[in-house]
Amino acid sequence: MAFETAQSVLLSGIVLGSLYALMATGLSLVWTTLGIFNFAHGIFMTIGAFIAWQVGTDLGWGLGPAAGIALGVAALVGVGCLSEFLLVRPFLSRSGIVMLVVITTLSATIFLENSTLLIWGARYKQMPPLIEGKVELLSTAISAHEVLMIAIAPLTLLTLWVFLKFTRIGSAIRAVSQNQESALLMGMNVPLLYSIAFGLSAGLAGFAGILLGSIRFITPGLGNEPLVKALIVAIFGGLGSLGGTIGAAYIIGLVEAISTFFIGLYWTPAILFAGMIVVLLLRPTGLFGKK
Amino acid sequence: MTDATLEVRDLTVGYGKTQVLRGVSLRLAGDTRIGLFGPNGHGKTTLLKTISGLLKPWHGEILLNGARIDGAAPRAIVDLGIIHVAQGNVLFPELTVLENLRLGAYCRRARRQLKDNLERVYLLFPRLAERRRQHSKTLSGGERQMLSIGVGLMGAPELMMLDEPTLGLAPKLKDELLEAIGEISKGGVPLVLVEQDIEFLLALTDHLYMINHGAVALDIASGDQLDHEEIMQMYFGKE
Repeated sequence: MAFETAQSVLLSGIVLGSLYALMATGLSLVWTTLGIFNFAHGIFMTIGAFIAWQVGTDLGWGLGPAAGIALGVAALVGVGCLSEFLLVRPFLSRSGIVMLVVITTLSATIFLENSTLLIWGARYKQMPPLIEGKVELLSTAISAHEVLMIAIAPLTLLTLWVFLKFTRIGSAIRAVSQNQESALLMGMNVPLLYSIAFGLSAGLAGFAGILLGSIRFITPGLGNEPLVKALIVAIFGGLGSLGGTIGAAYIIGLVEAISTFFIGLYWTPAILFAGMIVVLLLRPTGLFGKK
Repeated sequence: MTDATLEVRDLTVGYGKTQVLRGVSLRLAGDTRIGLFGPNGHGKTTLLKTISGLLKPWHGEILLNGARIDGAAPRAIVDLGIIHVAQGNVLFPELTVLENLRLGAYCRRARRQLKDNLERVYLLFPRLAERRRQHSKTLSGGERQMLSIGVGLMGAPELMMLDEPTLGLAPKLKDELLEAIGEISKGGVPLVLVEQDIEFLLALTDHLYMINHGAVALDIASGDQLDHEEIMQMYFGKE
């Protein structure tokens, strides 16, 4: 294999990995805090992309990409908090909450997906890249937009880590999943913490959606396939470990890029799932999961 | 009669349809220390959980300095200064000792005194200072109990409720905790102490209540001069 090919496969793997890291971290955050899987995470991506398109592009309101990103992410934080309130909170004290929330978030996905179809129509939307032009990187030319994605994902996740590790609310979010009774006895507002975690997670999804929407066409189904990948990543990395999730995101991204190049697009998802099954057979808690 | 610090009047509560407390009344006046004992599963822990707001009372009243607090959310009760150190508390196992302690001062009232209280806790339990960077799951049983009490102190308690702090601990550790709890109480914090170890209770409290079948079966004030043997006899019944 030529050196250039190897390099471009590697780069596309890292770009995918960055995207999956943003997606799966949000999914994992909700899992660690609330102990539920949010199947509306994919549609959150889609809505983020549509809002950024509406606000930012000339076919929409034309306020520029910065406004598009800011409003898109902010709106998604709001959507996340609202979803927690409507789809999760009513069932918090029920014993079957995990399955109930699978159903409520799947229903929300169908509802929201069709809403985006009604609002924005079926015509493919496209967002211009955030920065134009190409960057020469070790003799391979890649788009500046992709370089930005590679840089911005770790920065965003680092910010999230600092928030969770060093702020009072962040520690409380990590704590509440470990022992709800203690959290209550220390005077924490548990529902508010859930709401913040859900809002953050949705904001991350929206941001990932905006980045994805500027390299792919925006359709109501934009988030479906990345959601499945994020699920694989979150499970593969060991549910609940944020570091593991991020590591797994880059591994899956690279495996996907390599497999797409050598084996083809068609078989790649099957290979990813097979890989996940093998990992779970050997290490039931995931690659980086704790016992 | 002046308002008691804490007063419970005719409290009934249960889980689902199962009633646990059948009309409990008790009184903690001034900065005294009351002790609760009695067989397992007869409502001591349930009583504490109801006072701290984890359970909603079915009937009856709970008053703090004369104001009703029954039915309030746990958060509101922590804000009022009632700190409940739960039984066999594992706290937050994946967080460090220091992180656990800092979260103990989560409510606004306690946050202002975070630094002072952290020093106090480290002075009281030097072992926690040594282990402050360790995950709390790596602590031994005794250290974990110290952490639980330390986290309670971080909440700047005006009244502290301890649920079986010596559960499963070796005698040497019990003595250590006894000293520490005595120290806390000397600092003017009224205590509600649940214990199976009668000697521990007698050493630390002025007023004992025996809870049996969800009600107060015995009310022993310190003036009554009961000795250990007599209490044991009441506890287990006479031959």
